[in-house]
Amino acid sequence: MKTSYGKAVHAERLKLRRSPVWLAFIALPMISAFFGTFNYLNNIELLKSEWLSLWTQHSLFLCYFFMPSLIGTYCSYLWRLEHTRHNWNSFLTSPIPLSALYFGKLTHAVWMTVLGNLWIFFLYYICGRLSGLNSPFPKEAVSWFLFGTVGAVAICSVQLFLSLIIRSFAIPIGIAMAGGIFGLLVTNKGMGLRYPYSLYSMGMRANNPNLALDASAHLVNSLTYVFIFTALSILWLRKHEISAN
Amino acid sequence: MITLQMEYRKIKRKKIGLTMCAMMSIQFAWLLWASKNPSEKELLQGWLYNLHTQPLLCAIMMPTVISVLASRLADIEHKGNTYKQLKTLRTAGALYHAKVLCGFLFILAMTVADYLFLLALGYGHGYVGNPDLKAYLLSFVLQTACCLSLYLLQLDLSLLFFNQMIPLVVGLCGSMLGVILMYLKTYSFLPWGGFLSSAIVMMDWNPATRIVTYYYRDFSSVELFALCMIAVWIVLFYTAGRILFTRKEG
Repeated sequence: MKTSYGKAVHAERLKLRRSPVWLAFIALPMISAFFGTFNYLNNIELLKSEWLSLWTQHSLFLCYFFMPSLIGTYCSYLWRLEHTRHNWNSFLTSPIPLSALYFGKLTHAVWMTVLGNLWIFFLYYICGRLSGLNSPFPKEAVSWFLFGTVGAVAICSVQLFLSLIIRSFAIPIGIAMAGGIFGLLVTNKGMGLRYPYSLYSMGMRANNPNLALDASAHLVNSLTYVFIFTALSILWLRKHEISAN
Repeated sequence: MITLQMEYRKIKRKKIGLTMCAMMSIQFAWLLWASKNPSEKELLQGWLYNLHTQPLLCAIMMPTVISVLASRLADIEHKGNTYKQLKTLRTAGALYHAKVLCGFLFILAMTVADYLFLLALGYGHGYVGNPDLKAYLLSFVLQTACCLSLYLLQLDLSLLFFNQMIPLVVGLCGSMLGVILMYLKTYSFLPWGGFLSSAIVMMDWNPATRIVTYYYRDFSSVELFALCMIAVWIVLFYTAGRILFTRKEG
């Protein structure tokens, strides 16, 4: 017997079936990995820290600018069907609690982000080996992955909220791009941990693998953002009169 | 003209102008941040620095900004499923022209705002001397052309695909390519590398003295060819878009 949450996750899976949304999560990290490795090999006499240097080349732009936008694209896609035609009526009247419906979407967004992150690290490993790095794979990568994923969940919750309240498919993606760029400025000011779009790049230690991350602050802030934007989304679904298009 | 007016009526209250303003303001904030507290040497080269930085920022931001613009202009027909109805009122070619022109006017407004901001930034910081207006005008024309080529590509994709995720992901990948191409060469034949090819100021960094010097670019024949590719892309995307849109069913 499936719970409401299980049914919502299953329904989302059906909506996403045969849709090539995952291709974006494959393509963008590949571009970054290919050119990052190329750049690393071209400047190998300057970049002496082997795996760590390669990581900076792979992650810098991807984590700051493009992963937030990619997550934004996926979240927009998750609400796209509801924003089309009269689908809000069937969504809001389905015999499943609205919170379960929301968590079904959040689960898929997080799942795709985790897969995307795994793909980034897989490419990092393969490119490192192909570049002739014979030293052991850095153990710190586990921490980068875990904290990066937690930061990405915060972005997922923010973007899901934005895509819920904004009917346009494209605008939340533009906001994510702007948020990522603004995150670079905020991180540069030393306030990256307070800003949702910087949590991912800081967790991934993009451009600075030796960064001493305040792990507890990162976790607390990420979870706070997840909690706030999840609550806001569910509240919006419950209280707001969403008109069908 | 009527078809163009119709386009503007369709986008009324869609706040496309506001969206573009918000995205451009991020670019302005970036420029402001990148040029803060200039040293004396930087004040001397400030006007050249502006012309060097502008195409690089555009290479990162514009593909995504333009994909958002094109998607917003095209998705109203997808949502309402009104293509067939519109084609009974106006010819497909006129509809396509109206969309191109409507988007081009947005691009023109954004580019004008961009260059006015550059001038304001220069005078605000107190850069030495006055800007070389011919160089600024040339840079403005080239940037507008690059944006137009990308807009035509994005418009074609947004009109052809019901699922707007595809054109927007292409825009994102284009931004990514733009960033990466910056590290590889000073020109590119790809549509997203047009901003690099059209940069009229280059930078020379001396690793020993750590001094940066900006200078006007002396275009080689390959670089000129890359520059010409912008015009080729415009013609190609326009022709392909018009043919495909005319033949599009529903």
